[in-house]
Amino acid sequence: MRFILRRLGFYCAAFVVALTLNFFIPRLMPGDPAATLFVSLRGRMSQQSLDAMRAAYGLDGSLWDQFVAYVVRLLHGDLGVSTVNFPQPASEMLLYAAGWTLFLVGVATLLSFGVGILFGMFAAWRRGSFFDTLFTPVNVMLNAFTPAVVALLLLYGFALQLQWFPLGRAYDIDLEPGLNMAFMGSVLYHSVLPLASLVIIAIGGWHLSMRNTMINLLNEDYITLARAKGLSGRRILFRYAARNAMLPQITSLALTFGFVLGGALITEVVFNYPGLGKFTLAAIEKRDYAFIQGQLLFLTFTVLLANLIADLLNLLLDPRLRDRSELA
Amino acid sequence: MKATTKIKTQSLMACLALAASVQAAETDQNRIHGGELVLAPTQTNAHVRNFNPYNFSVGAFYAQDFIYEPLWIYNIAHPGHDFPRLAVAFETADDLRSVTYHLRPGVKWSDGQPFSADDVVFTFELAKSHPAFPVGLDIQSDSNPNGLIVSMEKIDDLTFVARLSKPSALAHEHIGVMYPLPRHVWKDVRDPTTFANPEPVATGPFTEVRSFSMSQFKVCRNEKYWDAGKPYIDCLKFPQYSGNDQTMLAARAGKIDWLGDGMSDPEKTYVNGDKHNKYWFPAGANANLHLNTRKAPFSSLPFRQAFSMALNRRFILDVATFGLTTETQFPIGTGELYKEWYDAEALQSYRYLMEYNPKRAKALLDENGFVDRDGDGWRDNPDGSPIEFKLAVPSGWSDWVNTMMTVSENLRDIGVNAHLSTQDESTWFAGTTQGDFDVYIMWTKPSATPHGTYSLMFATDGLAEGRRLEQNMHGMVIPEINQALDRFAQTQDRAEQKKWLTQVHKQVAEKLPVITLFANPDWYQYNDSRFQGWVTQDNPYVRPMLHLGVPERGVHVLNLSLRKDAAAQVARQ
Repeated sequence: MRFILRRLGFYCAAFVVALTLNFFIPRLMPGDPAATLFVSLRGRMSQQSLDAMRAAYGLDGSLWDQFVAYVVRLLHGDLGVSTVNFPQPASEMLLYAAGWTLFLVGVATLLSFGVGILFGMFAAWRRGSFFDTLFTPVNVMLNAFTPAVVALLLLYGFALQLQWFPLGRAYDIDLEPGLNMAFMGSVLYHSVLPLASLVIIAIGGWHLSMRNTMINLLNEDYITLARAKGLSGRRILFRYAARNAMLPQITSLALTFGFVLGGALITEVVFNYPGLGKFTLAAIEKRDYAFIQGQLLFLTFTVLLANLIADLLNLLLDPRLRDRSELA
Repeated sequence: MKATTKIKTQSLMACLALAASVQAAETDQNRIHGGELVLAPTQTNAHVRNFNPYNFSVGAFYAQDFIYEPLWIYNIAHPGHDFPRLAVAFETADDLRSVTYHLRPGVKWSDGQPFSADDVVFTFELAKSHPAFPVGLDIQSDSNPNGLIVSMEKIDDLTFVARLSKPSALAHEHIGVMYPLPRHVWKDVRDPTTFANPEPVATGPFTEVRSFSMSQFKVCRNEKYWDAGKPYIDCLKFPQYSGNDQTMLAARAGKIDWLGDGMSDPEKTYVNGDKHNKYWFPAGANANLHLNTRKAPFSSLPFRQAFSMALNRRFILDVATFGLTTETQFPIGTGELYKEWYDAEALQSYRYLMEYNPKRAKALLDENGFVDRDGDGWRDNPDGSPIEFKLAVPSGWSDWVNTMMTVSENLRDIGVNAHLSTQDESTWFAGTTQGDFDVYIMWTKPSATPHGTYSLMFATDGLAEGRRLEQNMHGMVIPEINQALDRFAQTQDRAEQKKWLTQVHKQVAEKLPVITLFANPDWYQYNDSRFQGWVTQDNPYVRPMLHLGVPERGVHVLNLSLRKDAAAQVARQ
């Protein structure tokens, strides 16, 4: 119990520090949201309009006043107004983008996890087989690719040249968004290439770590005993080896999920996918303070939450840790 | 306003303008109604339902010109052939202390209420009571004692008068471009700066917002539009594009009817994709170099002259800017856009400053003591301090980055140690207002007459640190120019205006506060497979651009109609 409380205390402190940094980091960059807009219009706006926008964006007080206003707003659950998408509340934009990111990166994470684990499992079970010698190096190699290369290759090959898939976006914009077949189908169709670009890269990591853990486990005495007892291969693989090898993978899946809301920047940019990565990049370029702060807050929160869950999982699964914490 | 004041009418101007618009739409009877025009006036991550014409982060891009109309559209491409919109005529009083406007009779807001002088006066009062609401009127107030417009008063439902704080023949240029707001709707708005105006009530050709989502929205025809029979098009469709790459992919495939994106090789990146893809990049406003004349070596006139002669402008035009920019003849900071205002004879003797002449530049530097004193191979100031400076440009603005790279090479060729420095847009701009720079490349702001451009370039009240305008960052005060500009503003006689402008031109060429580079291209691309009536190089009835700040786009869109063959296609579907 003390262990949990101590961890919780730590997370709260980390959260407050992050919250403060979130405010100051974007403001350390030169320029401000109004000036950025002025530049992108290349002077087609009057100086008077520029000043007016600064006032409308709440940038006219001192930094300390702005910080107090930010904290007060946060306590009311208000993340402020996005300056890029004025006057939409930053929280609405964040939720919109988070939905698409959760779908894209979430599905990609689960898919690559599932496929990677299976690949690793079979590669370890039949070590040195054709399957292992083919897929292990290929997946490891793909894992080393940068997302930009894979995404651009897929876009060029399958969207631009073969025209099998759309060039970008999350769905056909002539459709009315809603829970109907046409719209859902369009969402799936549009997600194929971005998903593929994420999954292709991520499989290798899961493949390799599962394979390594499995190989270690397969040398354990209890596996030898199980074999000696004449249990079926399938039973040994799934019930004895894979099940135990999964434990560290699940912890690391929990941690990976903490970063899902960071988005998949390159993929989202290449495929014009309306996710958090793409929105955050634009927000940084345009100095959209409210959005940057909100996104950092989102990310801090989910990463801390994922860590907490991983902590608790460890506590649950590892009795030694539990004993030690009781002693402390 | 009585008979004692002789009034010079400008109705003649209005007649000419009407003639011009009739000419532009000569085949009026044959026009077909219908169709959805796809436009990409700006890039955004997600559409936000904001149709406030004075919100410059979102609303103005779509609400100005399409949903809301100004009083008057100046035809910058053809001065004197303007397009009267909500006003039909205006008169500047003979003492130049007031302007009287006559509004168009019979105009209705899209909800059926009549449009009247009350709405104009209301919009003025709104701007006056909310200084942060950027209506764009130069209103005299405690915080703006030099403001031009003191008040606006209603004479009758279709007439109002604007009173000025000082005599000005150019006040109409400020007043005419305002977009009146409906009093009966906006009087209940608490804070106009943050008002999103999701259901616009307006007088423009397109007022009905339909099928709005973050990825696309449509604005459809105003059934009560005053110009009967127009618009020909049913709806304007605005898909969301978040970047140049995405826009170009769609445009190349012929999916966008009208856009204005920068591109370095239009034949290859655009025209090749679809035979209906067309473009025209007329000369726009100038790009100039601003040297920080408050410090050495830029404070020295011979240095600035040598700087100007050291530049290989031919190379910059043909190679660095992909052949898309236009040559500027004289070192006066403005170019082709205002070519009708040049007095070529008076400026001929300054032509040499625009010619590539490194030899003469070197000689000039030698004569004035800019020689290598410490033996490091680079020229130093006459007092012995070394010269080394940065040429700043936003990263990613490839034509300008190439330009600045060429400038730095040209300068190094004459022994001046100059480096290219690329910065993120916001960082770059942050330096302008602080005077924290050596050499910047900068746009000029186009205006109905060159007066607007020069008065920003030589504004003296914007020279304090932290308040410096991006247009006068050179930091020089030239009283002769301000005097000439004042005289320009006090006459309606074009010949006289031209005389004063020539004084300005000569002063700029003489003192070189800015180094003139070239005229930027005005980006304009269109696909003519579905619609006809486009502005072309052969029929340039208005400036063709789609972006915010070109009110002529409102005239352009009214002249577009479905092509007959395209209409047949629509009918078959």
